[in-house]
Amino acid sequence: MAVTTGQVGVSSVPEESSGKGLKVGALSMISSLVIGVASTAPAYSLAATLGFVAAYVGVYSPAVMLVAFVPMLFIAAAYYYLNRADPDCGTTFTWVTRAIGPRTGWLAGWGILVTDLVVMPNLASIAGVYTFHLFGAHGIANNSSGFWVTFVGVIWLIIMTAICYIGIELSARTQMALLGAEIVILFVFAIVALAKVYAGHPAHSIRPSIEWLNPFNVHPIGALTAGMLLAVFIYWGWDTAVTVNEEAKDTRRTPGRAALWSTLVLLLIYVVVSAAAQSVHGVGFLTNGNNIDDSLNALGSAVFGSPWNKLLIICVLTSASSSTQTTILPAARSSLSMAVHKAFPKRFADIHPKYLSPGFSTLMFGAISIVWYVGLDLLSPGDILANSIEALGFGIAFYYGMTGFACVFYYRKHLFKSVKNFIFIGLAPFIGALILTVLFVIAIFYYSDPVNSASGTQAWFPFIHFNFTFLHQHFYVKKGLGPPLVLGIGFLLIGVPLMLIWKIRNKSFFQRDREVAESVDSPAPPLTPGVIPLRD
Amino acid sequence: MAGDIILGYDGSDGSKAALAVAVAVAHAFDAPLSIVFGYEPNPMGGETADYKAKLEKIGEEMVAGALAAAAAIDSSVRTESLVVPLRPVESLLEAALERQARVIVVGGTGERPIVGAILGSVPHKLLYRSDVPVLVVPAGDE
Repeated sequence: MAVTTGQVGVSSVPEESSGKGLKVGALSMISSLVIGVASTAPAYSLAATLGFVAAYVGVYSPAVMLVAFVPMLFIAAAYYYLNRADPDCGTTFTWVTRAIGPRTGWLAGWGILVTDLVVMPNLASIAGVYTFHLFGAHGIANNSSGFWVTFVGVIWLIIMTAICYIGIELSARTQMALLGAEIVILFVFAIVALAKVYAGHPAHSIRPSIEWLNPFNVHPIGALTAGMLLAVFIYWGWDTAVTVNEEAKDTRRTPGRAALWSTLVLLLIYVVVSAAAQSVHGVGFLTNGNNIDDSLNALGSAVFGSPWNKLLIICVLTSASSSTQTTILPAARSSLSMAVHKAFPKRFADIHPKYLSPGFSTLMFGAISIVWYVGLDLLSPGDILANSIEALGFGIAFYYGMTGFACVFYYRKHLFKSVKNFIFIGLAPFIGALILTVLFVIAIFYYSDPVNSASGTQAWFPFIHFNFTFLHQHFYVKKGLGPPLVLGIGFLLIGVPLMLIWKIRNKSFFQRDREVAESVDSPAPPLTPGVIPLRD
Repeated sequence: MAGDIILGYDGSDGSKAALAVAVAVAHAFDAPLSIVFGYEPNPMGGETADYKAKLEKIGEEMVAGALAAAAAIDSSVRTESLVVPLRPVESLLEAALERQARVIVVGGTGERPIVGAILGSVPHKLLYRSDVPVLVVPAGDE
């Protein structure tokens, strides 16, 4: 607890009254569990991906949900160790700048910003669609690019940006209650669904099979990759569980245990719910044109009936709201950090004098999100949900991959000092980054053919065509590229010229050497000397 | 002994008006005045250590200004400042507990009541949660 001295002596306010030591530890463990799971937003993630994953991998969604966690877990190790050295809110931006160099670091920071931007239309759209479902206006909800859904989506973005700007927070208790309700409702949904399958044989229902957990059943590899990239997204945000509670009293155990428990909760939810969802009326029910982009709503009606299906809709909305916040907050903090370290225009470092939020960064991110949401609606009417969610995987794979590599580079002198170091700081982050890189590359080829993206019929840049074989896969594109590829890669590539322009105008950020960790436990020196006093 | 006068200070007009009243109250009781600035970044967004450091710096500058202002009003009052990394209401409650406060003084938000009710104003929350008397000072007609 930092306390400054006035004219009287030094004094301090204790963090919590020390008499309830055990309770404090237990609470912070639960609150970091809540933060980890709420940031991952299971109900929203399922609502956004369930239909699309099933469209790629058929009945093997549960397997994909399971294996996609592997790279996530490995990258979380990188987050954990890098955060120990430098708990900067720029995260990947600062870490990659230190370990690999300022140019790559800048691009990694750009990667975070555009990935956060790409998901915003999806969040807004889901919020719009499910709001209309909640009030029974299914006709309006089914037109996800229609005026009214977009209108509600824009209002949603405005409200969420305002919440982050003003700094309104739910109390820890309310957050816990909302998340608890979300988890309970999802499990009740799964149990009721499975009970119906075994008791009543609904139309096209299928009984769960252990084979659903075997990813090697998925062919071709491109489909598995596309499914994996979507499934990586459902775990996106989970890394906060390992980094957020560094200040908890029992730091040696709390983050680890919170991460472990949140992992179990998430894995269970995703595997059980995806299995139950496809059991009810078969995979076709999830992937048909009416249900693919709002499958949880369709399933809610099929499983719970009215009015209980509203519970599922409400839980998608509360989940989307926490996910929107956990997208805006880190995006604004990344641009804040980049500005502080002179890698971004100075105004982005402004902190609102009253609300104490990164004011300019937050408002800019909100405004650009709205412009992009409306823009994407106009660019790809009808396919906004598919295109935004599929494009997202590229950004996540890029900056999570960079984080993994940065960890190995940064701690390279210490990897062989102990078995523990080698496995957790070296091997795990490296393999995680490698998996993501491979997914990234294969997905480029897979999505290059518009036929392979969920929107299917849309092809962008029709003058592009090619024909070749890679990894025993024949790639033949008659005309144009799939929108997910154009969006996912395009946004990342825009960063290259921007970085070069910034480099010409502001040399100071780019004049630095790579760093290497002095020890596994020592905090890193300030990235930009004198700019921000890093404490403990 | 029932001790300090606790002042919540965030640089707003209301908190400036509260400062003048808090100094007078401290003088009347011959009690020390603790000027408290509370801040806490939303933990939902991930890493915050450097952002927190920046807020701490803003807080330190703010309370330094408040200390000077208090001394200018009445130099006989003993003052100290606390920059507490908790949400404003929590930081005031913690400081009051720690200092066995006689009273917590805060500025009225100056916002329209409905806005305050929606956003959850500090005085409003304090009135419900504080164990010690709370003195709310209106911002005045500036």
